[in-house]
Amino acid sequence: MKPMTRAALVITATAALGGTSYRVITRRRRSGAAPAAGRRHVITVNRPLDEIAEVLPEPLNAYHGTIEVQLRAAPADRGTEISARALDDKVSDGDIRRLLRESRSLLEVGDVLQPGGPTTEPTALNSALRGATRHGREGGLL
Amino acid sequence: MKALQWQGVNKLAVGQVPDPEIRNAGDVIVKVNRTVTCGSDLHLLGGYIPFMEKGDVLGHEFVGEVVETGSGVRNHRVGDRVVVSSFIACGHCYYCEQQLFSLCDNGNTNPAITETLWGQAPGGCFGYSHAMGGNPGSHAEYIRVPFADVGAFTVPDAVTDERALFASDSASTGWMGADLGGVKPGDVVAVWGAGAVGQMAARAAVLLGAERVIVIDRYENRLRQAEKFSGAETLNYERTEVEAELRERSGGRGPDVCIEAVGMEAHTPGAQFLYDQVKQQLRLQTDRPAAVRDAIHACRKGGSVFVLGVYAGFVDKFPLGALMNKGLTVRGAQMHGQRYIPMLLDRMASGELVTEHLATHTMPLDDAPTGYRMFKDKEDDCVRAVFLPN
Ligand SMILES: NC(=O)c1ccc[n+]([C@@H]2O[C@H](COP(=O)([O-])OP(=O)(O)OC[C@H]3O[C@@H](n4cnc5c(N)ncnc54)[C@H](O)[C@@H]3O)[C@@H](O)[C@H]2O)c1
Ligand SMILES: [Zn+2]
Ligand SMILES: [Zn+2]
Repeated sequence: MKPMTRAALVITATAALGGTSYRVITRRRRSGAAPAAGRRHVITVNRPLDEIAEVLPEPLNAYHGTIEVQLRAAPADRGTEISARALDDKVSDGDIRRLLRESRSLLEVGDVLQPGGPTTEPTALNSALRGATRHGREGGLL
Repeated sequence: MKALQWQGVNKLAVGQVPDPEIRNAGDVIVKVNRTVTCGSDLHLLGGYIPFMEKGDVLGHEFVGEVVETGSGVRNHRVGDRVVVSSFIACGHCYYCEQQLFSLCDNGNTNPAITETLWGQAPGGCFGYSHAMGGNPGSHAEYIRVPFADVGAFTVPDAVTDERALFASDSASTGWMGADLGGVKPGDVVAVWGAGAVGQMAARAAVLLGAERVIVIDRYENRLRQAEKFSGAETLNYERTEVEAELRERSGGRGPDVCIEAVGMEAHTPGAQFLYDQVKQQLRLQTDRPAAVRDAIHACRKGGSVFVLGVYAGFVDKFPLGALMNKGLTVRGAQMHGQRYIPMLLDRMASGELVTEHLATHTMPLDDAPTGYRMFKDKEDDCVRAVFLPN
C-alpha cells in the first residue's frame, strides 16, 4: 500500500499525571491512517513536555504532512521522548534521524552546531569518509 | 593561517589552512598562545583511529586569547585569556546537566560513526578525527571554539599560560580518574603510566587524601617527575615485579583504586607484547590492553579500576573472570573538562598543582613535526612538546 502522502502531521502527547494518563492530540487533520512501513525513531530531549508541545521545532514542522510525530513525557520527568515515523516514501530514515537530532539541539541549546573547517581536500582515499561526514546526523542507529 | 596537519599514518606537516570563522552564535575565535602534544594524538598518528583525512589539523590542549565572539556569547570578551576543555559540550543536554560533559548529545556534528561503533555517540573533541566531529584542532594560529560559554574558562592572573595550558586536557583527565575512580582519604592508589595524564592522576589522588600513590612506568625521567611533582612513589615495571610489589605496599590486599593512563598502544615486556602487537596489526584486536589487564589483576577485591587511556574497539584476553569474581567496579571516560577546570585553575593559582615540568620541550609551530617525533620516541626525555603558533 502506498504510504499516506496526504496524511497530516499527527502529534500525540501522552503524559502520566498523578496515576492517570491522558492523551492530547492536536493539529490532527486526518485520523485512522494506517502506519507507514518505516520504523519509529525516538530521541529524548531534556525539556518538559508542555514546553515542547506548545511549539514544535522548525525541523519537525518543515516535514509537516510527511511524518508522524509523537511526544511523551520521559519516565521520572527526565525530559520528553519525541518519536517520528515516515508517512511518505520521500522521507528516509536518515532524514528522520537528522531532524530529530537537530530538533533536540534546537530545543536544548537554541542552535545546531555547525561543523568547522574543512581543512582537507577530497582524495580517492577519503571519499567514503567525506561522504559519511557530510551526512553525519543522518547515519547511526537512532 | 599556519597549522599542523595530519598527512597520513606517521606523516605530519605544517601547511596553510583557511582562518576559522564564527559559525554559531556561541562560538569564539581564540588566538592560540600555547598548544601541546597529547598521548591521544599518538593513536591518531599511528593510524589506530581510522577516521582521519589528509589535511586534518591536530591539537586539543591549548591556551590562548579571545579575538572574536559570536553574538550569543555572554561569559567572554575580546582580550580574555582562556583555557579550553578538549571536549566540546553544549551545557544543556541530559548528560551535560549531570556534568558528564564528554557525553554531550549536541557536541558532535557527526554522531553516526561512533553511534554505529559503540551504540551511542559521545560528544565532539578538537582535532580528534571525524569520529569526534572533525573539528580543526589547536596546533594552528587560531581556533574556533564552539559553546564557548560552557567550554572556555578565563585564566586567573595568578596562573601563567605555561601552567594553565594543562588544565585543558591532561590535568582534568587525571583529576577525573581519581575523582570518578572514587579515591578516598586513606586509599592506596596505583597509576599505570607516568605521562602527563598519569602524573596528573597521581597528583589528584594525593590531593584527594590517598595514603599511598604508586606510579608505574619504565621511563626513569617520568618516574622522577611523578615523585617530585605529584608526591607519589614509583615502580619501574622493567625492574620490578609490579603486582607483587603493589601487594606488599598495600598490606597484601592490592590497591583500592587502580588508574590506567596508558592507552591502546601499551608496551609490555616479553611475549605478551608480541602477541598483542601481532593481533593488533592483523586487526584481530584494535587495541593493546596490557595495562588494563594488569590493573584488573592487581586491584583489591571490591576495588575500582578507572580507564583513562584511550581505546577504540576490541581487545583480546580481557580478564572478565577477575573483574566479576573480585567484585570490581570498572569505569572509563573521555574527560569531562568543564566539570574540573575552574577548580583546577584555583589549585594552580594556589600552587597545589604545578604542570610546567611536563613541558620538557617548547618550540615554534613550524617545528611541530620534530616535536611529535621527540614526543613519540621519548627522545631527549621528552614528556610533552609545546608549540608556540604566534
Ligand atoms: N580519557 C581522556 O579523556 C584522555 C585525555 C587525555 C589523554 N588520554 C589518554 O591517556 C593515555 C596517556 O596519555 P599521555 O599523554 O600521558 O601519554 P604518554 O604517551 O605521554 O604516556 C603514556 C605512558 O604510559 C607508559 N606505558 C606504556 N605501557 C605501559 C605499561 N604496560 N605499564 C605502565 N606504563 C606503561 C609509557 O611509557 C608512557 O610513559 C593515552 O592513551 C591518551 O590517549 C585520555
Ligand atoms: Zn588529550
Ligand atoms: Zn550537552
